Amino acid sequence: MNAIRIFFVGGVTSYRALFNWVNPWVFVPQTLGYPIFEILFFSYLGRFADVQSDKFFLIGNAFMALAMTGFFGMGNAVGGERRSQTLPTLLASPANRLALFLGRAVPSILTGFTVAVTAFTVCAIVLGVTFTKSELAGLAVAGLCSAFACTSFGLCLGALGLRGRSVSLFADTIGGSLLLLSGANVPLERLPAAVQRVSNVLPLTHGIQAGRILGGGGSFADAAHLLRGELLVGCCYLVLGIVMLRVFEYIGRRSATLDTF
Amino acid sequence: MIRAFASGMWIHVVQFSRNPFDLTGIVVWPILYATIAYYLLDSKDNPKLLLGASLGAAVMLMWSLVVIGSSNALENQRWLGTLELLVAAPVPFASVIAPITVASGVVGGYALVATLAWGTLLFGVPLSIAHPLPFVAAVPSCVLAIGMLGLVMASTFVLYRAAFSLGIALQYPVWIATGLLVPLSTLPAFVGHIGWCLGPYWGFQAIKQATLGSAGGAWKDIGMCFAVSAAYAVIGSVCLHFFERVARARGSLKLT
Repeated sequence: MNAIRIFFVGGVTSYRALFNWVNPWVFVPQTLGYPIFEILFFSYLGRFADVQSDKFFLIGNAFMALAMTGFFGMGNAVGGERRSQTLPTLLASPANRLALFLGRAVPSILTGFTVAVTAFTVCAIVLGVTFTKSELAGLAVAGLCSAFACTSFGLCLGALGLRGRSVSLFADTIGGSLLLLSGANVPLERLPAAVQRVSNVLPLTHGIQAGRILGGGGSFADAAHLLRGELLVGCCYLVLGIVMLRVFEYIGRRSATLDTF
Repeated sequence: MIRAFASGMWIHVVQFSRNPFDLTGIVVWPILYATIAYYLLDSKDNPKLLLGASLGAAVMLMWSLVVIGSSNALENQRWLGTLELLVAAPVPFASVIAPITVASGVVGGYALVATLAWGTLLFGVPLSIAHPLPFVAAVPSCVLAIGMLGLVMASTFVLYRAAFSLGIALQYPVWIATGLLVPLSTLPAFVGHIGWCLGPYWGFQAIKQATLGSAGGAWKDIGMCFAVSAAYAVIGSVCLHFFERVARARGSLKLT
């Protein structure tokens, strides 16, 4: 019960603190601007290269927008505490660590979901791409699976924040790698076999593929194995992230490095 | 003032080059964009197009480093409580900020080398520079033009404490408007007109002309780099002066 309280109260407080720090009139256009221009950039690059359709890039990069908030939400939850020198105090409390950091990340992830949906809608209008209601429902399901997998992966990145000080940069680089490795912008079959094997164990890869099937009018039966794959990848990273949180906190306490910045 | 600029730039170049983790990011990002471009443009079977994509990806990172690196540097000054000291220094504030933005562009030179090497070694992109002399002049001209545009942006970062987020948001719009990977002919016509006002456009054109085009065209674009740099220096100085006064009046320099 206490963990649930920490999850909600901590999450709401940190989210309110964000808006005390950043004016919403500035935050909203900034947050929306990045994914919208990213989608347009790659869609126009695809048009120039005569590779795939606008729908291919629209779905791939809308999922990327979803992924980044999962990565950064968790990564920054830990990194932000370190930067403001409150990490040791926070970890001295007996609170459940997962509830503590997930509570801070979930509001960011929900915001990210809203941002991704808005960017998707705006770019679909700009690029003249249309979807039926059932296609949109399928995309939403695939998006939720990917959000879960990316948040789980973000938990691992967040755990790294207990040991390192450049987690944001690391998350940024990993996110950038996914532009290529997840198949968001390059059809997977064009990548070398070794790279495809790496792609298969990354979050987002199966989600994007499922999204493209469902967004292209395919049935859930066609995409079921991909959705299962995405959820499986997410579960693996969730377990790994929880283990990493425990181990790195223990090492950080032992070596007294929690507040080094 | 020149000494403040030169020593400031040297310090920031050294500082930006200190952290191996940061350097890895500087090298990896343009390689990623270039690789995406190689895989997409490969079907066109045009080596010059791939070399152009390498150069575009490198200039993309130069702009990112300037706009993100300088906003991050200013935000760090704020967090460390040294921004007020910089504002109070007995030299024009522009000569303190400009070294940060230009040094970020200089560090982007690593990206140029890494991207060209990556393309040549892994994708067999022919590395042939048509006009070496204009190329040698075009690279620093491009750095200067991008750095000076960064100075204009940095003036808002002084006023605005969420500078880093603004820096991130400004990446893609400039990449698109300057035609670094996506040719402006593919985009709506008005985008090209925006690009003409932006330093990265002229910097990229100068490097591209020196590598793939004519020497005359390269020198013309280098001249444009200097022209827009001078204009940015004036606009940036005026904006910095104005925003610095506003920030002083509001007492917001120390707010993190």
